[in-house]
Amino acid sequence: MGTENNKGYPKFPARPAPSSSPYASAPPPGIPPPSGGPPTGSDAVGFRPFPPSASQPIRPFTPSGPPPAPQVGAMRPAQPSPFVSQIPGSRPPPPSSNSFPSTAYGPPPPPPPPPGAAPFQRFPSPPFPTTQNPPPQGPPQTLAGHFSPPMSLRPQQQPMAPVTMGPPPQSTTSGLPGANASPSPADFNMAARPGFQQSMPPVTPSYPGVGGSQPSFPGYPSKQVSQPPPMPFQSSQGPPGPPPVSSYPPHTGGFAQRPNIVAQQNLHPSYAPPTSNVQGLVEDFNSLSLASIPGSMEPGLDHRSFPRPLDGDVEPNSFAEMYPMNCHSRYLRLTTSAIPNSQSLASRWHLPLGAVVCPLAETPEGEEVPLIDFGSTGIIRCRRCRTYVNPYVTFTDSGRKWRCNICSMLNDVPGEYFSHLDANGRRMDMDQRPELTKGSVEIIAPTEYMVRPPMPPIYFFLIDVSISATKSGMLEVVAQTIKSCLDNLPGYPRTQIGFITYDSTLHFYNMKSSLSQPQMMVVTDLDDIFLPLPDDLLVNLSESRTVVEAFLDSLPMMFQDNVNVESAFGPALRAAFMVMNQLGGKLLIFQNSLPSLGAGRLKLRGDDPRVYGTDKEYALRVAEDPFYKQMAADCTKFQIGINVYAFSDKYTDIASLGTLAKYTGGQVYYYPGFQSSVHGDKLRHELARDLTRETAWEAVMRIRCGKGIRFTSYHGNFMLRSTDLLALPAVDCDKAYAMQLSLEETLLTTQTVYFQVALLYTASCGERRIRVHTSVAPVVADLGEMYRQADTGSIVSLYARLAIEKSMSAKLDDARNAIQQKIVKALKEYRNLHAVQHRLGSRLIYPETLKFLPLYGLAIIKSTPLQGGPADASLDERCAAGFTMMALPVKKLLKLLYPNLIRVDEWLLKPSADHDDLRDVSNRLPLAAESLDSRGLYIYDDGFRLVLWFGRMLSPDIAKNLLGNDFAAELSRVTFQEQGNGMSKKLMSLVKKLRENDPSYHPMCFLVRQGEQPREGFLLLRHLIEDQMGGSSGYVDWILQLQRQIQQN
Amino acid sequence: MAWDLLLWIISFFVSLALVASVFYQVICLTDLEADYLNPFETSTRINRLVIPEFILQGSLCLLFLFTWHWVFFLVALPVTVYHAMLYNERRYLIDVTEVFRTISFEKKLRFTKLGFYIFLFIMVVFRLTLSAVYSFTEDDDLLHLF
Repeated sequence: MGTENNKGYPKFPARPAPSSSPYASAPPPGIPPPSGGPPTGSDAVGFRPFPPSASQPIRPFTPSGPPPAPQVGAMRPAQPSPFVSQIPGSRPPPPSSNSFPSTAYGPPPPPPPPPGAAPFQRFPSPPFPTTQNPPPQGPPQTLAGHFSPPMSLRPQQQPMAPVTMGPPPQSTTSGLPGANASPSPADFNMAARPGFQQSMPPVTPSYPGVGGSQPSFPGYPSKQVSQPPPMPFQSSQGPPGPPPVSSYPPHTGGFAQRPNIVAQQNLHPSYAPPTSNVQGLVEDFNSLSLASIPGSMEPGLDHRSFPRPLDGDVEPNSFAEMYPMNCHSRYLRLTTSAIPNSQSLASRWHLPLGAVVCPLAETPEGEEVPLIDFGSTGIIRCRRCRTYVNPYVTFTDSGRKWRCNICSMLNDVPGEYFSHLDANGRRMDMDQRPELTKGSVEIIAPTEYMVRPPMPPIYFFLIDVSISATKSGMLEVVAQTIKSCLDNLPGYPRTQIGFITYDSTLHFYNMKSSLSQPQMMVVTDLDDIFLPLPDDLLVNLSESRTVVEAFLDSLPMMFQDNVNVESAFGPALRAAFMVMNQLGGKLLIFQNSLPSLGAGRLKLRGDDPRVYGTDKEYALRVAEDPFYKQMAADCTKFQIGINVYAFSDKYTDIASLGTLAKYTGGQVYYYPGFQSSVHGDKLRHELARDLTRETAWEAVMRIRCGKGIRFTSYHGNFMLRSTDLLALPAVDCDKAYAMQLSLEETLLTTQTVYFQVALLYTASCGERRIRVHTSVAPVVADLGEMYRQADTGSIVSLYARLAIEKSMSAKLDDARNAIQQKIVKALKEYRNLHAVQHRLGSRLIYPETLKFLPLYGLAIIKSTPLQGGPADASLDERCAAGFTMMALPVKKLLKLLYPNLIRVDEWLLKPSADHDDLRDVSNRLPLAAESLDSRGLYIYDDGFRLVLWFGRMLSPDIAKNLLGNDFAAELSRVTFQEQGNGMSKKLMSLVKKLRENDPSYHPMCFLVRQGEQPREGFLLLRHLIEDQMGGSSGYVDWILQLQRQIQQN
Repeated sequence: MAWDLLLWIISFFVSLALVASVFYQVICLTDLEADYLNPFETSTRINRLVIPEFILQGSLCLLFLFTWHWVFFLVALPVTVYHAMLYNERRYLIDVTEVFRTISFEKKLRFTKLGFYIFLFIMVVFRLTLSAVYSFTEDDDLLHLF
């Protein structure tokens, strides 16, 4: 059956997914008793139990409804169609609903156990909404309130009862249009509901093909085949609709209205919030009821019900379950797990089509990527498309050949790799071969994959020692940190290290192992750089350890009294390049002021606010001097990755300096106004992380995909070496890359599309390795399905990158508008998809999967690189944030866009023995000023900063406990440290925990008291993105704006 | 008359050089697309030629102006102006870091220029033969043949 269904699948591509997702989500709840009983697998058995169950609940209805119930049991299995005729008759009066649902319910029993279970599970939740929903109808009925989800036992009928009696009007705050209040919504409702259920079974089977053995149920296939008619329907009501329709053709007419109601019920804002996840999966779309007159807010408009990602990033997992051999979503996330089958469909999908790849994402304990050595066999790859062997290749010809899943080429299996196939065509040695069972593997590459011997890990430091560097204490912190990390640098004993310092001259250090003290050589000729020594500027760390340590110890003292204010950055960079270009490696630049001497000197710019808003504005955000781009390109060519640390409180032209990091796959760390007492910890932590995290050297990455599609653009910090090859001199777990794909052929004929990310790199241990992530996604013909499989996280990630890139070539306004337009277009298309069948009125509708998209869109617009005008963020801050966001993996980006806001005072006061019990504080609050209670203490955490907000009325005890005697002082002067009491310890442990959650950056703690302007505004209020701030709109306005634009034609 | 012939001979070689240079640039770009060249190589090769091309083209244009060949001057002028604009905006070099993002535009631009230079070249060849014939025959009557 499984396969059979698979075949059917392409014909009704729309169906599978919707159900699949519910299906996926449904099972967890546990198998309710009823399902346990009936579904035994064989049809006969399946049927029997049901009628009873059906009739049981129906009894109550009988008074109102005709006697269809008994029939149901009898007839359904045999001939559904007769049924149909009956129904119309029974329909008119609301009671008829009874009969109808029962008939509709009938079908579910036949399905085999697994599907059967799913529908049942599903029930509890759907019915709930239904009852709650039909506000229009009025029969006052509070029943709804009572029968909440718990009805696991034949939930189907129970829900009905209340519904028939009259749906509760309650909860309709948002003022649903009365228009739909047809007399019998309940009845429709029910009808529709069963429909959903019923649709499920057939659907589920179609997917299981992947899952494996699934008993076939007769009768179903035929139904599926008879489906074509529903097609029109499909688009409107979505997958769930069609099946019932097709099985009971006559109903179709009757059904026509139904979607409407169903839809409208869902429109209820209260369903939008994350709390009603399950419901959302069953339904087609969610919506927000907005004022009917754009611009004017109806009192009923309840923004508290707007969707908010308070649970953080929710990864779509339906596909992980469907394709268990896919690589984990932490490595590869598609913007939609349903690839459009035609260019026309792709063009209607206005959201980006692409993926976000984080090839070296950190793995939790126990899920390490398996390492494979093919030894003398050589790496098994497709001859034509060079795809690596992966779980989706198929072996044929009794194991002598394998078919590439990407290009369908038949390849020979090398003798050493040969294995017999079992009866199912699986290789016998499948279990011993992780590359055939796991989506992510790491392969040891033989010498063919090397153009030179694998390089050792190389760390080269380029340190500014001008007056500001010594004054701020940067030099000392850096020297200490490097020294403390020497033991942990990866790649012992091959690691190499070297230093150059510079102010108006360049200082080279001879670190030869035979010396006891490093020798310093000063070069003053900045125009014609030469190296004073041919080698020994870059030395093996284990050999020269003592010299290096002596150097780091003396470094801060050496320049203690330096009063030089110049910075010969460009020449120093050239010199470093000359030292490193033999081998490559990682270059860490510590820059304290604007480069002022020699090549690459930069001017002060951006201090003229008049430039903003003109066409020249963007020029401020790109490198001023071509020197930087050229250097970046040269560095990439020689495998040098650059990380830039900038410390100045004045303008340093991060836009230019960051270019170096951008094109060499590095990152930018920015500490405006660095003071070692304040930022020391942050720098220490982040530098240590940078030095000690596992790094992949001299890497290149490529993503391959099936025929007919092609990756066309790449976004992130890297340089393209050829059209689809990303050069990444040094890459680590904190870097992600986004890419967009396009369809090359007008029509895709395959059912699935495969993606394979391959990262070829040198591990710190000196091994050349290839990390391969393989993933598969189905091809669909239905736009609705694409929306249902969309992944907000990666869409937002791509959008953020696109917007930042746009800001490099256009005005900020344009970049922001572009994002808004894209969201509007996408939602408009979605609306059009449903507008035909539903009277949508003034509601904003969106698919469940994209419920957070508008909010994240707003967050992107208000993010540091894109927000406001010149006054809102300094140019350097903007650029630094831009470079950072271009590299962030999805989860971190989402956290930065919509940070956590949690209230902690109550938790602190609660006497609990267990300090680690952080669950109580984990509920996040909406990012709006009204979430802040002046009696509370809040923590705002965006992964880069922690802001502790003390309410004005916060009990002085708490403040005293936490801050010691300084509690009344101005908080900007108070240092946050542990006091000797339980409460303070508790808070510190919480802060520590928050920091440990994401070790890639070290969030600094800021304390701020309510009303302490301007710090409060700067630190916190400005980041409460749901509020209206300056010229930017708040969440409500934003939604209204979107809605207005969506409705315009 | 000899001056005129000299003018056309110079123009002939200049426009031939222009055609060759642009043709070479187009080849480099297509090679880059086909992955026969890496971006570093491509951009050095092309960027090396850009300024000479601008100078040649500009001087040819001026030459036409000073020798009072209005038609040729006007034909050459748009490209000169465009080059001047590129130069002023400092966009005339291929950006090695972003080659792949701009490659389609750069290719189109160069194909257009190639067509234009070929057109110019043909016109020059025509005038060259004409003036060569004049100067060798020294016969003004030949003019009536055309």
